[in-house]
Amino acid sequence: MSSVQTTTLAPPISAQAVSSRRQRTGPGAVSRWFGRAIPWILPAAILAAWQVAVSYKWIPPILLPAPSRVLNSALDMFAEGLLLTDFFTSLKIVLHGFAWGAVLGLGLGAYAGLSRTVERVLGPTLDSIRQVPPLALIPFVILWAGVGDLAKLIVISKAVFFPIFLNTLQGIRSIQREHIEVGRVLRLSRWQLVRHIYLPGALPSILVGIRYGAGLSWALVVAAELISGHAGLGYLIQRSQDLLFTDQMFVAIIIIASFGLLLDRSLKALERHLLRWKPGFIN
Amino acid sequence: MSVPAATASTSTASPAVSHRQRTRALNVRQVSKSFHVNDEPLHVLDDISFTVNPGEFVSILGASGCGKSTLLRLIVGLDDDYEGEIALGDDVVRGTSLDRGVVFQDHRLLPWLTVEENVGLGLKNAKLTKDERAKRVREHLALVGLNGFEKVFPYQLSGGMAQRVAIARGLVNRPELLLLDEPLGALDAITRIHLQEELLRIWRTEHLTTILVTHDVEEAIYLSDRIVILNTRPGRIKRIVTVPLSRPRDRLSHAFADIKREVLEEMAIANPGAPARVAYAEDI
Ligand SMILES: Nc1ncnc2c1ncn2[C@@H]1O[C@H](COP(=O)(O)OP(=O)(O)OP(=O)(O)O)[C@@H](O)[C@H]1O
Ligand SMILES: [Mg+2]
Repeated sequence: MSSVQTTTLAPPISAQAVSSRRQRTGPGAVSRWFGRAIPWILPAAILAAWQVAVSYKWIPPILLPAPSRVLNSALDMFAEGLLLTDFFTSLKIVLHGFAWGAVLGLGLGAYAGLSRTVERVLGPTLDSIRQVPPLALIPFVILWAGVGDLAKLIVISKAVFFPIFLNTLQGIRSIQREHIEVGRVLRLSRWQLVRHIYLPGALPSILVGIRYGAGLSWALVVAAELISGHAGLGYLIQRSQDLLFTDQMFVAIIIIASFGLLLDRSLKALERHLLRWKPGFIN
Repeated sequence: MSVPAATASTSTASPAVSHRQRTRALNVRQVSKSFHVNDEPLHVLDDISFTVNPGEFVSILGASGCGKSTLLRLIVGLDDDYEGEIALGDDVVRGTSLDRGVVFQDHRLLPWLTVEENVGLGLKNAKLTKDERAKRVREHLALVGLNGFEKVFPYQLSGGMAQRVAIARGLVNRPELLLLDEPLGALDAITRIHLQEELLRIWRTEHLTTILVTHDVEEAIYLSDRIVILNTRPGRIKRIVTVPLSRPRDRLSHAFADIKREVLEEMAIANPGAPARVAYAEDI
């Protein structure tokens, strides 16, 4: 980086000095290695206990198949292509439902956040719809939309919509008046105010809603497929139960858990990047 | 229009900023302002009238809560609910304008924008190309001695640096009138003196008309051509003191001390509860 031209009496400080503040200071290499290993200890222990429980036949294999058995059937299912099909069926619905819910939640949340009239128009209706648990809607939605993807889409969109709507609304309302005045002093247009002040100011809150909604939608698609459907990971579990294929059930559960984790971690990383301007931002 | 601004201009060549076409006088005429607090009217400003000539540096001095910020907000155009009239030249002030640059007491940088984005935000609606815009931002960061910090976020700046970015943002549109609300209030004595020098330099090179709100008597005398002293409750002009000293000023000179005594006495009378004159005389 170029040197700082101090045109004034101000003390010379370099930009590097500023960025190096964020550098992490840690103890030795051993404890750093141990630090990396920490998150893996519990899963490894569970896996070991599982293997031990099965090897000593504490639990019958029909209730708890061996880890190796689960891995084998995972490979088989993968080879057959069914596993991927089920996974992508679920993923597609989640992405669709999430996108609809998120876009509507963001749009209406921002609109209601910017205008009290809009909030008053939407408020009571949305608040009462919010009280209905998503799963309670399924039979009714199926009645109207059939057992196909549309029903699941509606249920998921509805579930995703509310956290994002409410957090966007809340985020926009919590913007400091001082920051809005800066926008007025700089003569920003309405759209520029929204783009440069309202939305970034509300972003921390919006991201909380998005992460929550994403987790919810992934859990819900499985639940919806359990209730109705003829494909997807939830259906896979349903079918395994009927056929007493416990190992396949485990495969499905592990995939649901892993993908859910991946989803959450990715969103966290995204959040860390988008909120890098926040002092002392910690997850 | 009027001449005074031109005389001061030739001494230092401006590195950054070209010359403005016009500089107009600011007229504050019989301005009164009340707030309503719990349905009780709170009379904050009463019959304020003064003029700031083109190129002049005027300070508004008064005790905490006397209505300095309120008055400045009216001049900025953030609050149109008052009696009287404020006009820049022939134009009555209604709403904000890029002709009037502002630096708030708390720097008010937007935390989600980098230093250069914060300064550049003021140019969003300027009729400039992208390159010109970037150049203008760079020039103004250089003006406040902060090149090299373009990509840094506000939380990574010290208080004094943040305040300098805020000054750059206030200047980037080349306003004809610069309004400063205690911009150095929160800083330590040393940084404060540095930034006072910087303000003077910028004022001189940019041929700005400047209004500085402060409660620091010495700062007001060191920087201004004239000082508007406000009374408390309701805020009323107590007196307007002219500072006849030539620049650079010596804070330790007798002439400086004499003016300081004069101003302090004026303020002591303004507050019946404050210590008597004798105490101030010792103080100096
Ligand atoms: N929005 C508001 N609503 C009600 N009262 C207000 C409002 N803004 C300011 N006041 C009152 O007006 C008076 C003057 O406030 P102002 O902020 O102008 O003081 P000030 O001279 O800038 O003080 P300081 O030097 O402490 O910044 C105070 O009594 C304050 O309580
Ligand atoms: Mg104030």
